[in-house]
Amino acid sequence: MAGQSNHELSLFSAEELEFIAEDEIVDIVPNLKMGPLNFISGDFGPFTPQIVTQVPLWLAIALKKRGKCSIRPPLWMSVEKLSQVLEAERDSQEMSDQLPFHYVEISRLLFDHARDNIPDVYMVRSLIEDIRNVRFHKVETDLEAFNGRTIAVKIKNLSAMEVNIVRPFIGRALQAFYKHDSPELIPDPERVSDRRPQVVNNAPRRQLRR
Amino acid sequence: MASSSGAEGESLDDYDSLIATTDVELLKRAWRNEKAAPEILRFESHLISRVKEQIQLMEETVEEKSSGGNDPLSVSLYQMDLDRTLFLLRSYLRIRIQKIEKYMFHILKTEELWNRLSKDEKDFARTCSSDLNQHLEETVLSKLPENYQSVLKQSIISEEDDMVPEPQLDTFVLCRSKEYLTGIQLEDGPADDRQFSSKLFEMERGVLHFICYKSIKALVESGKLDLL
Amino acid sequence: MYGRTACQLVKEFASGDKGQLVSFNSDLFQQVVAECSQHHLELQSLIRKIQEEGLDIQTARNADHYGALIHHLALVRNKRCLMAYVFNRAEIIRNLLWKIGHVLPQEIEEKLCHTEEEHFKKHSTALKSYMSKVMVDLTVDMVPPKDPYIKVRVLDDIGDGILLSDDKTANFACHSMHLLKRTDAEQFISRGQMEELTG
Repeated sequence: MAGQSNHELSLFSAEELEFIAEDEIVDIVPNLKMGPLNFISGDFGPFTPQIVTQVPLWLAIALKKRGKCSIRPPLWMSVEKLSQVLEAERDSQEMSDQLPFHYVEISRLLFDHARDNIPDVYMVRSLIEDIRNVRFHKVETDLEAFNGRTIAVKIKNLSAMEVNIVRPFIGRALQAFYKHDSPELIPDPERVSDRRPQVVNNAPRRQLRR
Repeated sequence: MASSSGAEGESLDDYDSLIATTDVELLKRAWRNEKAAPEILRFESHLISRVKEQIQLMEETVEEKSSGGNDPLSVSLYQMDLDRTLFLLRSYLRIRIQKIEKYMFHILKTEELWNRLSKDEKDFARTCSSDLNQHLEETVLSKLPENYQSVLKQSIISEEDDMVPEPQLDTFVLCRSKEYLTGIQLEDGPADDRQFSSKLFEMERGVLHFICYKSIKALVESGKLDLL
Repeated sequence: MYGRTACQLVKEFASGDKGQLVSFNSDLFQQVVAECSQHHLELQSLIRKIQEEGLDIQTARNADHYGALIHHLALVRNKRCLMAYVFNRAEIIRNLLWKIGHVLPQEIEEKLCHTEEEHFKKHSTALKSYMSKVMVDLTVDMVPPKDPYIKVRVLDDIGDGILLSDDKTANFACHSMHLLKRTDAEQFISRGQMEELTG
């Protein structure tokens, strides 16, 4: 119980991931005139009609909702680019490095709030869906390759959402490997002192038996 | 784009110079680290007092602007910026308080951890642990035979505190290095490790790793690594 | 078998839904406490017996020694189960502060024993005192904030002169679109008179 809830502390919820992604910078084309905004999180603007400027995604969406700008989708969100990425993802077991860490959240936010600013939006959406699936399948295959020798895992180019999905699994699996594969550690007197919390520790073995 | 992992090195530089200097960005980093680390980290006292000041100033600005009433658009945008910063501050403080609630006895008796708390957190931890102590005494311990009445020890023959819940430092965390790191000592790795020929481990800048928290604890504390 | 009742107590806790409380099982709890006293009596009488036989309690390794050891270990195990039970319940109770707030609804309060109620109140005071010192309310904003304004379409002729929270009035003609505070729009959305627009 106590050990498990550590995971709770370390997991980012979907809302929190979205919150983090909302700080990514995008280009917008304002249609209003407004002086600079001196936020705690930084200075943005000034805003002049038809002059491209860079703002965080949350601000872009807020302006868009109020009808004050259009959003330029990031370069990777085009049919051409995404088709290349999909092909690359299918051709290799490696994860492509062409997409940003928060590609899932960014694209979802833009689909929800700026659909009319994305050329070929249906195609873009289905390409991203396909890419997600291919990538996720690869992650699963990678996980199968884990074994008891794995004490640290390098994960190249995994996105935030993918990380979140595999995190609980990898965390627990590595921990279990780590414990099972190091029986020599058990009698070590040094380790006795930093064993799991004892008050709450009456059924720790059960976890390992699964 | 800033976070595009293509050409990671370069864009990270741009990103750093563009945004890492704002206190909000530093707070976000502290928040993520605190959320991901199994144990409580050092309280970012300077950062937190700067952020609180900025929040207060912004609250005054928003108040002023909205009473002026001539620019509801920018007022609502300033309010959103304020709300985002307030959320980070609250969530950061809340995670720390929850860690204190969970491991109060351990924190109280471990000097290194104790020194990581702010003054107010120390007060809270003291009150809390004496409350929990009292609760355990009244509910359980006072009903047990006299040699078995300690909160911290199983019985008087225990040589050390063997009843104190501690965070699990051998838990696996996800991290990303801000620079090329080498010579990371992996804790307790199996001797015939095939994947990494030596126990010394290296990390490229910007690449994600799942790794045992104990091995990189010091790097998190020195700010060379970020947890995600 | 020694320790069975204690194990039952911990199992009862562990089998509950995570974060949910069941009533404090004082019946089982008292049984385990009584078992502890019984073990202690047996333990003491065995130690007395060893001493009466003129043996050194530190070095004697006879049947009585091992008997005493078993009673000691059974007692320790029972203690740990009792502590685990109360400690973990206390953790859930403290977490209620985050989930529900400083006042517990009757149906939850009924599940607490007297000392648990006290613990909840004291912890609530401790938390309030911390929050007033740092001047930040930690019980709000549990999830990241969203734009307080949403785009809505009116589905029903609601009419004009509707007073909003910013003291403005609005004309909600059927099919018209508005940017409203989420809190203002919610009542209409829940009645099916408006829908939130995305895209």
